[in-house]
Amino acid sequence: MRFRVVKAFFVKELLELIRTKIILMPYVMPIMIVILFGYGIKMQVVGARVLIIDNDHSKISALLTQKFQNSRYFNAALSNQSEAEALREMKKANLDAILIIPPSFEKNLLKNVKSELGIFVDASFPSRANTVETYVEGTVLSLASEMGAPKSVITLNNRNLFNEALRDEEMIVPGLLGLVLFVAPAILTALIIAKEKEKGTIFNFYSSSVTKLEFLIAKLSVAFTLHSLNVFILFALVVYLFDLPFRGNFFLYWLSSELYILVSLGMGLLISILVSTQILAVVLTLMLTMLPAFMYSGIIMPINSMSGEAYYIAHAYPVMYYNHIVYDAFLVGSGFESAKNVEYLLILALYALGFFLVGLLLLKKELKS
Amino acid sequence: MVLRGLSLEADEGEIIGFIGADGAGKSSALNAIAGVIKFEGKISFGDLVYSNPKESQKLKPLLGYMPQGIGLVLYDTLSVREHLDFFADVRDLKKDAAFEEYEKRLLEMSGLSGFLNRRAGDLSGGMKQKLSLICTMLHRPALLILDEPTTGVDPLSRLELWEILKQNAKERGTVAIISTAYMREAQKMDRVLLFDDGEIIPTLGDDDASLEESFFQNARKKNKILPEIKISNAKRVANAGEIVMNAKGVTKKFGDFTACRAIDAQLKSGEILGLLGANGAGKTTFIKTLLGLLQIDEGELYLLDKKISDANDRKELKSKIGYVSQRFALYDDMSVRENMLFFASMHKIDAKRSLELIDKYSRELGFFDYLDDMPKDLPIGINQRFSLATAILHEPIILFLDEPTSGVDVIARAQFWKLLKELKEKMGMAILITTHYMSEAEFCDKIVLLKDGEKVADDSVLNLYKRFPNATSFEEIFLEFYK
Repeated sequence: MRFRVVKAFFVKELLELIRTKIILMPYVMPIMIVILFGYGIKMQVVGARVLIIDNDHSKISALLTQKFQNSRYFNAALSNQSEAEALREMKKANLDAILIIPPSFEKNLLKNVKSELGIFVDASFPSRANTVETYVEGTVLSLASEMGAPKSVITLNNRNLFNEALRDEEMIVPGLLGLVLFVAPAILTALIIAKEKEKGTIFNFYSSSVTKLEFLIAKLSVAFTLHSLNVFILFALVVYLFDLPFRGNFFLYWLSSELYILVSLGMGLLISILVSTQILAVVLTLMLTMLPAFMYSGIIMPINSMSGEAYYIAHAYPVMYYNHIVYDAFLVGSGFESAKNVEYLLILALYALGFFLVGLLLLKKELKS
Repeated sequence: MVLRGLSLEADEGEIIGFIGADGAGKSSALNAIAGVIKFEGKISFGDLVYSNPKESQKLKPLLGYMPQGIGLVLYDTLSVREHLDFFADVRDLKKDAAFEEYEKRLLEMSGLSGFLNRRAGDLSGGMKQKLSLICTMLHRPALLILDEPTTGVDPLSRLELWEILKQNAKERGTVAIISTAYMREAQKMDRVLLFDDGEIIPTLGDDDASLEESFFQNARKKNKILPEIKISNAKRVANAGEIVMNAKGVTKKFGDFTACRAIDAQLKSGEILGLLGANGAGKTTFIKTLLGLLQIDEGELYLLDKKISDANDRKELKSKIGYVSQRFALYDDMSVRENMLFFASMHKIDAKRSLELIDKYSRELGFFDYLDDMPKDLPIGINQRFSLATAILHEPIILFLDEPTSGVDVIARAQFWKLLKELKEKMGMAILITTHYMSEAEFCDKIVLLKDGEKVADDSVLNLYKRFPNATSFEEIFLEFYK
């Protein structure tokens, strides 16, 4: 590999990006996505309408009712309706949840005998239902702990273990990094290779002694350099704008992000080999990166609750591995001590290397005939 | 298959010409020799032998290849200087005194020395081609392959390009393979191969008349001559001699740059006006202002006695004007018939009448058999005919044609001009046409010649010949103005 050739392409590419102002894209797009989605997606539920049917009429059941009524998350009402009537109300979308306190709830609780609270949640919007359910469970659990009863009364959703405050930003924003750093570098790479094909300047590569390796290194290093800066910009955005804690290892965050950018570059490279126009490169890259990165990142649905094909697709996409490391870095902080973090880091490296090698193999110094 | 059984040998310092129409297989042959496309057979250059693109990697340091298309290998936002630096780096050239001198000479030969800081995107077509050429020659290739380097380039730039090539062949013994669509350039080659339909056809002689005759003979033999053209019961749209377009002092500026300076021009019905000029002389800008695609900065424009000052004035004139753009504005995913029906409906011609007209023109212009084909599957000569038919469906009085004959073969071009003559004589249409083929200028009634945005000649072809009695062709007259 000749450094001079790589440098010539690198400088040329940078000049073109600056003069066409496309250089703004790597920064404007990710920042926009993080801000739009970060503020835009609200899974936090305030004032969920809960109907409580108290069949116990005891002191503790009254306390529980009061707890619901005092919470700003709920708009709770006590009722003597029958269960069937209440469900009819829910069908009309007048209720978000129904809590049924069984008879002898107080007696069982004091005797440490397991008692079953009935919870119905309106699941028309699954993610909202999920949240409401968690809130209800959390409220009931806090009562149980105040009473000194064992926690086995209700099982808890894993999701809010590290997320005591239940702030949406903490749930979503780290996942957004996995989204934008997957989408943006891929688009830039696909664009700067497809552009040469579309315009015809690709002949300068085809008909000269420039090797495939030199060409790819030059192209990828431009996109890599530009996006490396994003690792820091996005970090600042997350910590200062969205006020997230950073409990982990910064080196791990940085290393995994750079590796992840390489994976994305590889993805863009493979797409650019398939297409020969810029518009197709952008559309295809968006389709192949944006949707899956969003669906299978764990932002809207925990991966361990996926089943069947969805579970395998989630594991086939590199997004999940990076997201795990990033969530850990921001919210947990187990760093390199966690074997899973190290394993996932290696998987990212393998993806990056694999994509690059396949791209190098598939790239041809000739016109499609 | 685009190319069959081509065999060719070349000696050191030889310039070989590939001549033929679009789609005849010239580009495929050049791509194969340059090793940028898969092919069958074997190519050897000196000791190097290759039979696929991968093996041709060894040839690449010796190769200079300029593919077809104006400024195709240039980066629009990079300056002339930056291009030379880029190509020197990519070719890993040592930047010593000898290199600098060679580079300087190339710049001088191409006349680009004064434009080092201009970006490629702001160069005229001819300058782009010259920059592409010197970038291709910067590493002193032993094999130079140029695919239509002179297409779309004005006669003056063409002469300069050839000078660079000739000198290079003489001094360095470079083997050059050059394709062209201009018969006239055959004289400058050492040897000429005529391409037709992926095959080499026999040559009758070296001068352009014999070459043209070779094409005609071949077409006759293969029974390929497009059907004759005849327009019957044409409705006269205007009486000959009426002034239909009158431009007075039309000026168009782009920032500090004046693309057209105070141009006067008149077009009469029943007349063909040829608009000529080198690349960047302002032809396209002028035609765009006439069409209303660009606003006029100064001057006045009258179309059919109506003063045009804004888009509203043009609305009612739309039905009186026809336009065929350089690249035929056709929809590739619709058949010829569907395309024509669409344009007819745009002109509010009712369906029954449209079908009658389509039937009439398709028979008379000889594309009846192609009505249900897609434009992209048709010979360019047929596309050209039906584009023209589409533009005259609504029987316009004025017809604007922007380089309608670029890339069309000799035979189709001759027939096209016959058709224009019919439109002029039988229907009384006024036709304004731009072209780069100087031989076509002779078919025009009047010539308007532009140079650097100004009109330098406005006369009949006959009078121009009288003015330059020594000229043997119109090309020579053209060059007189550019001296």
